[in-house]
Amino acid sequence: MEFEYLVDGAVQKVAIEVKEGIVLVREGEKTMRAEIVSVSDAEIFLSVDGVGRRIFMARDGGRWLVFHGGGEYVLEEPRKAESTSFRGEDGGKEGGLVKAPMPGKVIKVLVAEGEAVRKNQTLLIVEAMKMENEIKAGRECVVRKVHVAAGDLVDAARPLVELE
Amino acid sequence: MFTKILIANRGEIAVRVIKACREMGIRSVAVYSDVDRASLHVRMADEAVPIGPPPAAESYLHMEKIVQAARRTGAEAIHPGYGFLAENAAFARVCAEAGLVFVGPTAPALELVGDKVRARQTMEKAGIPIIPGMKTLPRSIDEFEGAARELGYPVIVKASAGGGGKGMRVVEEEKDLRPSLEAGMREAKSAFGDETVYLEKYIEEPRHVEVQVLSDTHGRTVHLYERECSIQRRHQKIVEESPSTALDPTLRAKMGETARRAMEAAGYTNAGTVEFLLDKNRRFYFLEVNARLQVEHPVTELVTGVDLVRQQILVAAGERLDIGQEDIRQRGHAIECRIYAEDPKRNFLPSPGKIRVLREPGGPGIRLDSGIYEGWDVPIYYDPILAKLVVWDENRERACRRMAAALSETVILGIQTPLAFLRDIVTHEAFLAGLTDTSFLKTHFENWGERPTDEDGLRLALAAAAFAETRAAARPDLGRDGRVSGEAATPWTSLGRWRIGGA
Repeated sequence: MEFEYLVDGAVQKVAIEVKEGIVLVREGEKTMRAEIVSVSDAEIFLSVDGVGRRIFMARDGGRWLVFHGGGEYVLEEPRKAESTSFRGEDGGKEGGLVKAPMPGKVIKVLVAEGEAVRKNQTLLIVEAMKMENEIKAGRECVVRKVHVAAGDLVDAARPLVELE
Repeated sequence: MFTKILIANRGEIAVRVIKACREMGIRSVAVYSDVDRASLHVRMADEAVPIGPPPAAESYLHMEKIVQAARRTGAEAIHPGYGFLAENAAFARVCAEAGLVFVGPTAPALELVGDKVRARQTMEKAGIPIIPGMKTLPRSIDEFEGAARELGYPVIVKASAGGGGKGMRVVEEEKDLRPSLEAGMREAKSAFGDETVYLEKYIEEPRHVEVQVLSDTHGRTVHLYERECSIQRRHQKIVEESPSTALDPTLRAKMGETARRAMEAAGYTNAGTVEFLLDKNRRFYFLEVNARLQVEHPVTELVTGVDLVRQQILVAAGERLDIGQEDIRQRGHAIECRIYAEDPKRNFLPSPGKIRVLREPGGPGIRLDSGIYEGWDVPIYYDPILAKLVVWDENRERACRRMAAALSETVILGIQTPLAFLRDIVTHEAFLAGLTDTSFLKTHFENWGERPTDEDGLRLALAAAAFAETRAAARPDLGRDGRVSGEAATPWTSLGRWRIGGA
C-alpha cells in the first residue's frame, strides 16, 4: 500500500507491504526490511538488520506524531496539511487568514474590520499559560474580517483575523 | 502533628506535597478549579474539593474558598506550594485568623522579605553584602539621575514589589534613564499594582547562586548549601544544580553562613532561600529572599538527603529541627531540568494540549517530580511547568551523562516540550566545563533548532505511520489511531490484534 505524508512542508511517499511479521518499506529507490517484534497502542518495536528500533507514535487530529532515536517527526496528511501548516506568528505574510499560534484565550483585539494596518502592527493578543503573545501583521494591509472577540478561547490554527 | 493538610496548589508541586503527607501518615486534601477536575494532584489526594472556575483569581488565588475548603474537610494546616498564595502575607494572616496553620514563614516575615527595599535595608544593617543601589525611594527623576551617576552605568531599574523580570530595565547610559524608568514604572504598575521602582548597579554576566535555609520556631537556623540556577530563559530558570562549579569550600561556607544570618535578621522561619548574584570576581551580593519552597528544591534534597517538604511540615507543627549545621553535608552532584509545556524552537511559545504519549525515565539516581499523565489535557490557564527531571550521581560529569540519558529516555508526544533542547544543554561543552552564567542560553543557544534528522530516521517514521494505518484498516474495531474505540482494550482484544502472519 502507498501512503503520502507532508513532513516539514515536503511531500514524502512511502509504500509498505506487511507479510508474516515483516514490513517491507519502499521509499523511492530504497527499500528497508523490518521485522515486527512487538506492537502496542503507542509503541512499535522493529528489528532492522538486527538492530532494534523502538518507535513511539500517536495520532493527533490529521497527523501522526512519531518519535524514535531521540527525534520527533510530524507526518501530516496532505489534504489536511494545508490548513495546519500556516503559523500565526508569520501572520499575514501572504495576506489571507491569520491563525492562532497556540491554544489560548484572546485577551485583546486591537483592530477593527475595514481598518488599515502597518507591517508589524499588533492585531490582537492571545494569552496562554500566563504568557501574552502578540499577533502581528506580516505586511501593510486592510483588515477584512475579525473572527474572534476578547474573552474567546481559541484552538491552535483557529482563524483569528482575515487580511487583504 | 497534623492529621490532615490542605494543599493550596496544583500540578507537580501539589503531588510532591501529597507524597510527603502520605509518608508522614497525614491525610491530604487537594483543591481544584473546574479545568483541573481530572488533574494528577486530584487523583492522588485523599480528598479533593472544587474551588471554582479556571482563572486563578477565582480559584487557586481565592483565599476565602480555600480556607472554607480547609474548614469543611477538617484540615488543620495549609501548604501553599510555590506561586499562587505561597508568599502572600495576607493569606498567612487569613489562615491564622481561621485557626489554620500556614506552612511557611509568619506574615510579618513575609511582609519584610517581600518588600525589596525594606529587605535590602534590613540586610545591609545586618552586614549582609548588597548590590550597590538606592537605599531610599526617590521622589524625582533628578534624584534617580544623581543616584545612577553615583552608582556608575550600567544600572538596572527594578520594581520594589517585583519579581520574574517584570519592571526590570538595564540602562547603559544616561540618555536612556528616563524612558527606562517610565517603562519600568508602567510595567510594575500593571504587574503588581505598585509603580515604585529603584536603581541598582547592574552586575554583568553574573551567576545566580542561591542558598537553601531551614529554621524552626525555637531559634535554630541551618543552611543546606547552594544551588546554581544561572541557566535561565526569559528570567526564568530552566536548569539548576548543586553544588555550584563557581564556589570553593571557603566561599561556599561564607555564602552559607551569610544566608543563615540573613534569615535570622529577617526573623524568618520554615524553609526559604536566599538568592545571591556572584560576579566575575567572585564577589557575592544579596539579591532577595524566596519565602517559599522552591521549584528546584529537589536538587538540594538529593545532595543533602534532607526531605525539605517533611521538614517544612515538622517546623509548621512547632517541632524542633532535629538536624544541626554540622549534620548537613553535600554529597555528589545533582542536576534538575524543568520540563515545560513550551516550544524552544518557537521562542518558548506555550504549548498546552493533550498528552498523547508519555514515557517516564527511571533507574538509579533518577527522580521525576511530575504533575502529568498520558491522556491528560494540559490546560491553558496556568504555569507551563509539567514536571522536573532530577538526577544525582557521584560527580558532575557523571550527573550530566545521567541527565542526558534520562532525557533521551523520556517521551512526551502531543505537546511541545524542551526535552531535546535540555539534552543539548547538558551535553554542551560550555555546560560540561561548568561555564554557566546568566547569559549562557543567549550566548550558545540563541537560534537553537533540533539537529537535522537522518534519512533513515524519516523512512522509519514514515513506515511506522503507514504500518499503523494498514493495521487500523485491517481492524474495523480499532479507531484510526489504532486504539480500540470506546472502553480500554481487554487482554483478549490486545492479543487478537497481533495476528499479522495471516493478514
